[in-house]
Amino acid sequence: MEAKLNSEKLSLGIAVFFLAFLGLIPVLSVVANSFVADGNFSLDNYGGLLQSSREWRLLANSLLFALATTASTCLLGVPLGILLARTDLPLRRALTALFIVPLVIPPYILAIAWFYFLGGTGVLARLLGEDSGRLASRLLFGFPGAVFVMTSAYLPIVIVLTMTFLRTINPKLEESARLYAGWRMVLRKISLPMVAPGILLASVLVFVLTLGEFGVPMTLRFDVFSVESFIHISAFHDFNTGAAAAIPLVLIVLVMICLERKWMRGKMPSFELTQGQMLVVHLKKTKPFIMVGTFVLAFLLVLIPLAVLVSKSFVLETCRVAFLRSSGSIARSLLYAFAGASCLTMLGFFLGYLFQRKTSRFSMAVDSLALFLFALPGAVIGLGLMRFWNIRATGFVYGSAVIVIIGFIAKFSAVGSRVVTIAFSQVPDSMEEAARVAGGGWLRRIMKIWIPLMRKGLLGAWLVGFLFCLRDLDVTMMIYPPGGDTLPVHIFTIMANSPEEVIAAMCLIMVATALLPLGILGRVFRRMR
Amino acid sequence: MEAGGHHNFLKAHMEVFFLMNRLSISLVLFCVFISCSPGSPEAVIYVSEDQVFSEPVLKDFERETGIRVRALYDTEEAKGTGVMNRLIAEMKNPRADVYWANEPIRAIILKEKGVTAQYFSPQAEGIPFCFRDREGHWTGFSARARVFIADLEGTGPTSILDYANVEWKGRAVMANPLFGTTTVWVASLFSVWGDEKAKDFLSQIRANGVKISSSNGESTMLVTNGECAFGLVDSDDAANAVRSGKPVRMVVPDQTEGGLGCLVLPNAAVLVRNGPNRKNGERLIDYLLSPQTERQLAFANCAQIPLRDGVEAPPDVVDLRAIKLMEVDYEMVARKLGEIQPFLRAWKRN
Repeated sequence: MEAKLNSEKLSLGIAVFFLAFLGLIPVLSVVANSFVADGNFSLDNYGGLLQSSREWRLLANSLLFALATTASTCLLGVPLGILLARTDLPLRRALTALFIVPLVIPPYILAIAWFYFLGGTGVLARLLGEDSGRLASRLLFGFPGAVFVMTSAYLPIVIVLTMTFLRTINPKLEESARLYAGWRMVLRKISLPMVAPGILLASVLVFVLTLGEFGVPMTLRFDVFSVESFIHISAFHDFNTGAAAAIPLVLIVLVMICLERKWMRGKMPSFELTQGQMLVVHLKKTKPFIMVGTFVLAFLLVLIPLAVLVSKSFVLETCRVAFLRSSGSIARSLLYAFAGASCLTMLGFFLGYLFQRKTSRFSMAVDSLALFLFALPGAVIGLGLMRFWNIRATGFVYGSAVIVIIGFIAKFSAVGSRVVTIAFSQVPDSMEEAARVAGGGWLRRIMKIWIPLMRKGLLGAWLVGFLFCLRDLDVTMMIYPPGGDTLPVHIFTIMANSPEEVIAAMCLIMVATALLPLGILGRVFRRMR
Repeated sequence: MEAGGHHNFLKAHMEVFFLMNRLSISLVLFCVFISCSPGSPEAVIYVSEDQVFSEPVLKDFERETGIRVRALYDTEEAKGTGVMNRLIAEMKNPRADVYWANEPIRAIILKEKGVTAQYFSPQAEGIPFCFRDREGHWTGFSARARVFIADLEGTGPTSILDYANVEWKGRAVMANPLFGTTTVWVASLFSVWGDEKAKDFLSQIRANGVKISSSNGESTMLVTNGECAFGLVDSDDAANAVRSGKPVRMVVPDQTEGGLGCLVLPNAAVLVRNGPNRKNGERLIDYLLSPQTERQLAFANCAQIPLRDGVEAPPDVVDLRAIKLMEVDYEMVARKLGEIQPFLRAWKRN
């Protein structure tokens, strides 16, 4: 028994060690250096921060930007998630796939697509006249445009998590409630409270991602605080002050996480495995209206930017050129994302177990560490990895694609572990207890209990990890080996002077590259059901 | 029967999961193996020049010499992760042999930080001395000019002073002066005009509602899409847009008698100190500095300006000998660049 407990603790310990070794230690060296000036401990790098009213305004802008994007994604995403998961709305599967598409496109590219549509001489101006173009352009450049683009980019996160959590609700609960109340009441009193952790998780993810985003606000000329760190690193080559400038945003994220924890305490529902079919809400008379509304939304948020990209790259020759020019990058993107997602799922499995079963008093600290790394700007993580691994002894790691995968693990471990945590919460403790009492060892319990019962969750975690790795730009750009770029990096490096058509075609290839595994896993999920 | 089927189904999924993980570990080991295995001779180059234009040159070098080139390219929009930062961060254990800078100021900063090595290329002959480092830490080739890209309406701008002209109020764009060639241009103004006049000019620009874009590429896009009337960009951005048939023109600024002249920024080939393949790096630099490369870059869509006399170029490429140049000392501009950063930050804030 003792030995079995030890093997459990050992494997969890190894997982935590991996997270600390691959993520925390390299980053700590950068953060620690931000407290050093001329070889001595100093707060000089922090001295200039938040000294002017402008910096406070930027910080307020960042907060407002992140809060507005989070609010708008939740306001749209939760109802859409319910509609797509639990109603008899026609073409739900196609609509779900459509709404997910923007998640695989880097937000900056979405902003460019919207610029082609709403710019002064864009598609809208050509259709409706110059005045409309000018008005649309004014709206695009600034706070409303930036929030709109980010909402379309991150709406899929809320939709997917709402749908995932809805699928975990035991239909018996809703069936019982339906005996006494209408659907609205059941959704409000039973379903929504049950999916609240998923919505909260989605909100935290959207908030963190938006807070660290600077590509879209910079393009649409809305000043935010994340640009400060960027400026110190890229314009002044001052890595220490750059790291210091990232800290205020990280602190905001940590406060958010504390609030989330406080709110969630005691509210995490205990899930049971869903045995039967999910209950379906019949929309009846409202179906045509809701259907039109949903299609309009899909058209506005997804089809317009996609159509702009397609129209720009419509010629077959353009697509051929784009494919030939990026074939190596496509292959590497898939390879890195595949390896990264698999590592994230594996690490996420053990970390998720640690968080959900709280087998250690440090589980909260480990969760916070993963989120801390997720919240840090990619440039700071990249810099840490560069300094840590680029020494003679480990130069072979730094000079290979392995460093990119390490970067993925460092940055996205929170994504994998959080999704797996949800999957763990769907398996009752009693099952593991029974297996333990029957003498099942740790490895046997993993093989016979956890993996079979969590297969959907694990595949979901792999898929989410795959998407995040595939579209990553910040970390990859800092550390990819020479001659080893990925498709997003390739698109960014040739964007400045390549024909718009080729860029648009590459963006479409990016979408197709991400949708391929999505389609395959979609089939696997359907078979599981 | 059903239970058996379910069991097989679960087993199959467990196998898939472990297969996936085994595959990922194999992939990681494969990547390490690839990186460690001895292969053909190679040179590693970090490139700040746009990939679209630099990649064909490097491919030709590979074909002609058999030396494999592993390149890492800079981006225009995402400068936060620029190759210069990597060169500085990797200084203790350099991974690159050569740095292809798209202007000489970065090369000078790297020289000051101890990243560069001395190399006097035999191919540098014919390149004017004002475009070379006296100590051999960088050598210029194929230049770009800071020019206007302007719409086709009216006479268009003729001088950088038009940025402060009320006629263009709110209709002009310039890239963020904290980055890239725009920051070099601003530093050049400080070195030529002196601090007071340059600061006054920037204040006037601000008052005249000049839009600040994130990059020259974005400035070009804003002008070609009709958002702005003109913007100061690099000649390769402008030439590329003109050759793509966009409704814009390229204007070389300040060419009148007594005018300031046009700032010209050559590319710079830099040998990295303690790079892993020094000999191959030197051969690559020789190739970059050759007349053949200057000709190739002149005929490419970047329309870069050959520094040597007698290198063939298309008629729409700016001729160095036919325009009035802004007279600057690049070393002084590099020093000025460091000095004015606090001012530029404050200017950008206000």
